[in-house]
Amino acid sequence: MTNTHRLGLTGAALADKALRLRRHVVRMVAPIAEGYVGQGLGAADILAALYFNEMAFDPDNPGWEGRDRFILSPAHYGVGLFAALAERGALPVQELAQYGVDGSPLEIIASERLPGVEATCGSLGMGLSVGVGMALSLRRHGSASRVYVFIGDGEMQEGETWEAVMSAAAFRLGNLCAIVDINDMQVDGATRSVMDMGDIAAKWRAFGWNTIALDGHDLDALLAGFAAARAQGGGPTVLLAETLPGRGVSALEGRKAHFAKLPPDIAAQALAELEG
Amino acid sequence: MRAPITIASSGAVWRPGTPTDSKCYGRALLALAEADPRIVCLGADLTGPTETDLFRDRLPDRFFNLGIAEANLMCVASGMARSGDIPFVNTFGVFATRRSFDQVALQIAYPRANVKLVGFMPGLTSPGGPTHQATDDVALMRALPGMVVVEPACATHVAPLLAQLVAHDGPAYMRIKRGDLPRLFTPESLPPLGKAQVVRRGGDGWIIASGVMVALALEALDALAEQGIEAGLVNVTSAKPLDATLIAALAGEGRPLLVAENHSIIGGLGSAVAEVIAEAGIAARFARLGVDDVFAEGAGAPYLFHTYGLSPAAIAQRFAALAGRR
Repeated sequence: MTNTHRLGLTGAALADKALRLRRHVVRMVAPIAEGYVGQGLGAADILAALYFNEMAFDPDNPGWEGRDRFILSPAHYGVGLFAALAERGALPVQELAQYGVDGSPLEIIASERLPGVEATCGSLGMGLSVGVGMALSLRRHGSASRVYVFIGDGEMQEGETWEAVMSAAAFRLGNLCAIVDINDMQVDGATRSVMDMGDIAAKWRAFGWNTIALDGHDLDALLAGFAAARAQGGGPTVLLAETLPGRGVSALEGRKAHFAKLPPDIAAQALAELEG
Repeated sequence: MRAPITIASSGAVWRPGTPTDSKCYGRALLALAEADPRIVCLGADLTGPTETDLFRDRLPDRFFNLGIAEANLMCVASGMARSGDIPFVNTFGVFATRRSFDQVALQIAYPRANVKLVGFMPGLTSPGGPTHQATDDVALMRALPGMVVVEPACATHVAPLLAQLVAHDGPAYMRIKRGDLPRLFTPESLPPLGKAQVVRRGGDGWIIASGVMVALALEALDALAEQGIEAGLVNVTSAKPLDATLIAALAGEGRPLLVAENHSIIGGLGSAVAEVIAEAGIAARFARLGVDDVFAEGAGAPYLFHTYGLSPAAIAQRFAALAGRR
């Protein structure tokens, strides 16, 4: 039964999962003292809402045909995805210590070498297109599975993103939901300062998407957004989720650093804060 | 008076009177798809030119036009392959390889996605100039781990070659001339993937050719015979995997080897053959005939094949020189 693989956690139980994901992220990045900790912390609520409420997923069989698909287009957020997969039971939590270790499938840029990673999307702009293909195929086979694609706000500067946006609307892919992590951060600084993309919501709407702007740290809003996407049978939905990089750790929250330092004292302080 | 360039005649560089077939690919793909529900057909606004109008009209629910957006096209194909379909992706060779190389590399080759790329108008068979002449597609695709790279020489090889690609679980790139293809061989003469076809034996060395160059090499054999030179001919349908065993055996005979390809001499079949010979430690009289490290221009194929040294006369002259007979 599909439902046995949808956890449906809400409220404090879901918030606790998001907190646990953040602890995993800090512990994974701490040994290398710098990395994509800001992204992992910033995306923790979105990932928790997906893996612990919204998505059908069988941790004992990550390739289960009836699963909902999750594609992480900015694959450098892998630290967050690995935390979610481990917390969900798809890999032992102690395996997270192998993050970025030579020979480990937990690569810094998430690779499908690790079961549970649907596609290797570190070259930006590709993830949504892969999601369109999956959604087309699943619909053609009459599958109830849904496709969720996480993309970054800087990634919208890649032209392929808009090729995918256009095609998903044209094909009326109601089984496709994109989540844009609007953290206003890319390598060279604030997204707006590097390449101002203007009114992002207006762009998605103009392309024919059901467009929902929300606070990417508000778990109830995220669940409501996913429910609205599910109810929208006639076309794709995008959740424009505003987030803060480093969310939940006072020394990192709001810091616009693509590859942030995480020295031992900050890591220890972060873990103390995240004990909840 | 100038003859119009039609789809059928486009790239027809072989001897007049050579029997031909048209839409071999379109018909073969449809026949395979009617027997195999996993096959889907993807394109990017080149339905007629890629002969997939036949598929579109017969199996519309399995036909997907992605518009003029090749990056998206390749990744969508990957997504469909990851969900159990076998996408055939149809466009021109330049767009299937050069334009969308990163997408093909990362979403098709890296995951070994079961996607079949079909690139029309290889090399100088396109009248469109560098924008439409795929002279580096074999080099690009050959560089990708796990990518099978093939090109049929003959109309009757197309259907059995497609069946081989479907039977092979993994990514493949097929370059194929648009419009008419010459009928040269029987369907049964197509060797398995990775094996080459010895077309004719001769005591004075070998011409190793692919695609339309096989028909032109057959003409060159006749011209050489008139000079008393008996060259053999090998048709290499599968540039990757390459029939290294056969190539090394031929090189080991100690007679000259000329590779003739409708592609840059850098990175294509000539390079692949050279790699085999060099690594086998064989000293051979060897030359590569093809587009010699230049961009060509927009023009009719007979003019281009003559101007850029790919004509039967050029093949014959090059082989005779290599054999020390001129």
